[in-house]
Amino acid sequence: MYEVSDVTVNYGAAAAVSRVRLRIEPGELVVVVGPNGAGKSTLINAMAGLQAVASGRLLVEGNDITREAPHRFCERGIAIVPEGRRLFANLSVRENLELGSYRAGARSARAASLARVCALFPVLAERMDAPAGALSGGQQQMVAIARALMARPRFLLLDEPSLGLSPMITGDMFRAIREINTEGVAVLLVEQNVAAALGLARRAYVLEEGRIVAEGDPQQLLSQPQIRKAYLGIGA
Amino acid sequence: MPSATLLGQSVLSGVFIGALYGLLGLGLTLSWGMLRQVNLAHFALAFLGGYLTFQLSARLDPFVILALVAPVFFVLGMALHWFFLRFSVTLLNTLLVTFGITSIIEAGIQWYWTADFHRMENAYAAVRWKLGPLFVSLTDMVTLGFALALALGTWGVLRFTDLGKAIRATTEDAPIAAAFGVNEKLLGYLVSGLAAAVAAVAGLCLALNHTLAPVQIYAWMGVVFAAVMMGGLGRPIGPLVAGIVIGVSEAITMAVTNPTWAPLVSFSLLIAILLFRPARF
Amino acid sequence: MKIALAAIAAALIGLPYLGLPAFYESFGYLLLSAIVLATSWNLLSGYSGYFSFGHGAFFGVGVYTTAALAGKHGWNFLWTLPLAALAATALGVALGAIVFRVRALRGELFALLTLAITFVLATIALNAVDGGPGIMVNVDMPRLAPTASGVLYLLMLAAAALTLWTAYAIYHSRFGTGLFAIHDDEDVAEVMGVPTYRFKLAAFAISCALAGLAGGVHAVFVSYVTVAETFSIALAVNVVLMAALGGTRHWLGPAVGAVAITVLLYAFTGGDAAVAGRALTGLILIVVIVAMPQGILGQILKRFRTKTPSRAVVRTEDAPRQAVTATTGPLLVARGITKAFKGVQALAGANLEVRRGEILGLVGPNGSGKSTLINVVSGHYRADAGSIRFEGEELVGTPAHRIARAGIARTYQIPRPFPQLTVLQNIALPPMFGQVVMHRAAAEREAWRWLEFTNLSDKAHRYPGELNLHQRKFLELARALASRPKLLFLDEVLSGLTLSEMDGALRLIRAIRDQGATIVFVEHVMRAVMELTDRVAVLTYGRAIAEGAPAEVMRHPDVVSAYLGTAHV
Repeated sequence: MYEVSDVTVNYGAAAAVSRVRLRIEPGELVVVVGPNGAGKSTLINAMAGLQAVASGRLLVEGNDITREAPHRFCERGIAIVPEGRRLFANLSVRENLELGSYRAGARSARAASLARVCALFPVLAERMDAPAGALSGGQQQMVAIARALMARPRFLLLDEPSLGLSPMITGDMFRAIREINTEGVAVLLVEQNVAAALGLARRAYVLEEGRIVAEGDPQQLLSQPQIRKAYLGIGA
Repeated sequence: MPSATLLGQSVLSGVFIGALYGLLGLGLTLSWGMLRQVNLAHFALAFLGGYLTFQLSARLDPFVILALVAPVFFVLGMALHWFFLRFSVTLLNTLLVTFGITSIIEAGIQWYWTADFHRMENAYAAVRWKLGPLFVSLTDMVTLGFALALALGTWGVLRFTDLGKAIRATTEDAPIAAAFGVNEKLLGYLVSGLAAAVAAVAGLCLALNHTLAPVQIYAWMGVVFAAVMMGGLGRPIGPLVAGIVIGVSEAITMAVTNPTWAPLVSFSLLIAILLFRPARF
Repeated sequence: MKIALAAIAAALIGLPYLGLPAFYESFGYLLLSAIVLATSWNLLSGYSGYFSFGHGAFFGVGVYTTAALAGKHGWNFLWTLPLAALAATALGVALGAIVFRVRALRGELFALLTLAITFVLATIALNAVDGGPGIMVNVDMPRLAPTASGVLYLLMLAAAALTLWTAYAIYHSRFGTGLFAIHDDEDVAEVMGVPTYRFKLAAFAISCALAGLAGGVHAVFVSYVTVAETFSIALAVNVVLMAALGGTRHWLGPAVGAVAITVLLYAFTGGDAAVAGRALTGLILIVVIVAMPQGILGQILKRFRTKTPSRAVVRTEDAPRQAVTATTGPLLVARGITKAFKGVQALAGANLEVRRGEILGLVGPNGSGKSTLINVVSGHYRADAGSIRFEGEELVGTPAHRIARAGIARTYQIPRPFPQLTVLQNIALPPMFGQVVMHRAAAEREAWRWLEFTNLSDKAHRYPGELNLHQRKFLELARALASRPKLLFLDEVLSGLTLSEMDGALRLIRAIRDQGATIVFVEHVMRAVMELTDRVAVLTYGRAIAEGAPAEVMRHPDVVSAYLGTAHV
C-alpha cells in the first residue's frame, strides 16, 4: 500500500497541498479529481519524489520514503507518467523505453517488459526508432505510459494523461490504463476529465485548493453539485 | 600556386591538427553539452598533461606516463565538478571561474618550466612512413588514433549503453530521469572525470607532436571552441569532424597564402554559420 | 560634496606641474588607463550581462590605428585618437549587428566569440598593418605639460573623466535601466517595451569607442607596438576581474576594482613575480565570483542600503485619462492564430475579439492554449499564422517592444520580476518605455501611484526575492498597470492566493477597469470568473469554442464536456 499521511507541499510561502491523506491499496485504481489550481500535480509530483514534502510522510509498504533521494523512489515500485508527458524528446522511442527500465530491478526483465508494452500499444512497435519528440501527442502519451510500465512498478502514477488528446485517443488510453490495472498494477490517476476518470475507478478523491474535500464512490461524487460548482462556477 | 604534393601534405597535416582539435574539443563538448559547464581550464589541464609528459619522458615511456596521469586528472575533474556543485556556480560563472583556474595553472607552468619553448625528444618522433609522395609520422597517427578511438568510443557509449542513455536523458530532463533511477550527481562526476582524463590524452598528443609554451594555452581556445560550437554541443564526433574541416581549411590557407592568416579561418567559418544557420544555436 | 570633488579634480590635473619624478605620472597613467578599460567594459558587460572577453581586441584596434597612422604615416597624434575610437566602434557594431540578432546567443557563447575575436584581430593586425616586427611610435607631443609622460597622463585623465561621466550618465538614465532589465530578463524587458537589440548595440558601441580611445593614447605611451603585447589575453582577463572585484552593477565599481588590481599588480612586476601576479589574479577572480558576486562596492552599498530612503511624498492625483481614441468597434481582433511547438499544436486557428472597456474572461481546461495566446499577442512568441489587429494595427510580426508601446501589457502566470531591480524600479520601468515615454523622475512618481494602489508602498525599496507569492503577483500587476495600457492581459493572477487575498485582488481589478483599461482575464478560479467578467471566451485544443455572457457560456454543452469531459470507458 502507498499511504500519503498528512502531507503538506509548499508553493512559495503558501501551501499548494495541505495535510492531505490518501492511500492506494495494492491493485487498486484510484482517481483524484479537482479543478485547476487545486494542487493535483503538486500532490502527484510529491508522491513520485519530484517535489519535496514540507511536512507529513509518504509510506510505501510501511517504509517511510519521505526524505529519500529522488532517484531512489523508483526502487520502491513507484513510476510516474508526468503531466505533459516529458519524454526525452531527442532520444528514440526505444531508448525512452529502455530508460524506463533503467533501475536494476527492472533491467533484467527488459525484453519481457518491451513485449508487454508493445502488445498493449501496438503502434509503438512501428515507431521504435523515431525520436520521441517527433510523435503525435497521443502517441507520446502512450510512450510515456509504456516507459513507466517498463519500470515494473507496483504503483503507477498518472498526471492528467488526457491533456491535449483528442477524445478518441483518450478512450483508447483509458482502456489501456484499465487493462494495466487488471494485470495487478495499482494506479493513481489525476485527471481533469472528470466524467471519464470517474467511470474508471472504484474510489475517488476530490481535491480543492490543496485539500481533500470528498472521498468515496465515483458515481455519487459525479452527481454532486459541488463538483459542478468547483469546475464550472455555476450552481446546481 | 603550390604543388600538388605540397597541397596534399598540407591537407594531411590539416587532418592531424584537426584531430587534435577534436581531441581537445571532446572533453569540452561533454562538459558544456551535458553538464552545462564551460570549462576553459580544460586547455590548461591538457597542457599540464603535456608538460608532465615532457618532464617525465626521460625516465618513462610517454604512454606509461599517460597511464599514470590520466587517473590523476580524472580525480581533478571530479574535484572541479564538486567545486561547481558546492558553490552553485552558474553556467556563465563556470567560464569565469575556469578562466581563473587557467591563469593559475598557466602561471604554475611558466614558473616551473619557464616561458621557453620545449620540445619532447622521444623515439616515436623519428618514425615516419611514406604514403605515396606524402609523409606521415607515427606521432601524427597516434593523435588521429586517439581522437578517433575516443570520439567513436564516447559516441558508442552514449548511443548504445544504458549509462550513455542515462547521461543523455539527464541532460534533457534531469528530474524525470531521476524518477526512473538515474543518479544525476554520480553521472556528473563521471563525465567531469572523463573529460579531464581526455585532457590528459590530449596533453600526450600535444607533447608528442608540438612545441610546448605556456602562451599557447590561450591560442588553442578560440579554434577549439569554434570546432565545438560548429560540431554541436554534446556530440562527441562533432568537434572531430568540425576540427578536421577547420584544420584542413587552415592548412590550405597557409599553403596558398601567408601562414599567419590561419587563425582567421575558424573564426570566419563560425561567423558564417552564425549568419546563415543561426538555428544551430 | 561638490567642493571635495573640485579639490580632487584640481589635484589630479595639477599633478604633472608639480615637478615630481616621472614615475608618478606613469603610475597615474596606468591607474587611469585601467579605470577607462574596466569602466568601459562594464557598460555592456556589467550593465547588460553580456560578458565580453574581447575588450582587449578593441583596445588593440585603437592602439594599432594610432600606431599605423601616427607611427608609420606621420599623422598628428591627437587627430588619430577619434579615429582610433571610431575604428574600434565600427568593429564592435559590425560584430554586434550579427551576434545580437541571434536569439540563442546569450551568455557564454557571446563570451567565447569575443574571446576568439582577439586572436582574429591580432592576425589581421599582424598581416595587414604590422608585418611582424612591430611599429615604432615616435610622435611630437602637444605642449600640455612639462614632460611627455605628463601629457600622456593628462590625456588619459581626460579619457577617464569622459568614461566615468559616461558610465554615470548611463547608469542614471533610461538607457541604463533598460540595460539592467536586459541583464535580469531580456525577454521580459523586450515585452515591457525595451528595444533590446538597439540598446545592446549602443552599449557595445560606446564601450568599444572608449576602449579604442584608450588604445590610441597607449600606442604613444609604449612607443613600440607589437601584436603579441597588444592583443594579449591578460588584458581581457584583468578587465573582467577589475569590474567583478569592484562590482559590476554600479558605475563606479569597476574603477574601484581597477585601482585595487593595478596597485596589487604593481607589487608583482618583472620576472617570477609577474607569474605569481597572474596566478594571484586568477585566484582572486575565482574567490570574487564564488564568494563576493556583487564586488567590493556592491557589498559596501548593501550595508548602507538597509536604511530605507525616504520616499517621495506623492498625493494620489486623479489618473489623467488616456486619450480615448475615436474609433469604435472592437479593441483587439485575433483571427486564425496558429502556433506549434515541436509537434505540439498549442493554438489551432484561435479567434478572439475583445471589446473596449470590458473585462473578458479567457477560460479553458489545462493545456488549451490560453497562456500561449497571451504570449503570441504580447509578442513573446511569433504566431505561425493568423492576424491580430489592435486598433487597426497588425501585431503579428511586430517586435514585442513595439507592441508594448502600442499599449498592450501582460502579467506572467509565474511572476517574472527583474530580480536585481527594486520593486520601485521594476514598476517604474514600463512607464519609461511605454506609450508615453517618461523620464525617470516622472516614471517613479507614476510607479508610486501603483505601489499605493496595490498596497506595496512599504516594499518599494526591497527586492522581489524578499516578497512572498501574493506580493509578487501584485508586483506583476502593478508593473503591468504602470504603463497605463489600453489592453491588459492578466494570466492567472489569482492562483495561489488565499480567499481574503483574492477578494482584494478582485476589487483591484474592477478598479483598474473603472479607470479605463480593457482587461482580458485568464483564470481557473471559476467563482472569480463569474463575478468579475462581462463576457467569457472558452478555449479548448487551441481554438475558441464559445464566447458570450458567463452564465450562458458555462452552461453550453460543449463547454461542459470540455471541462468535465465525457465518459469514455
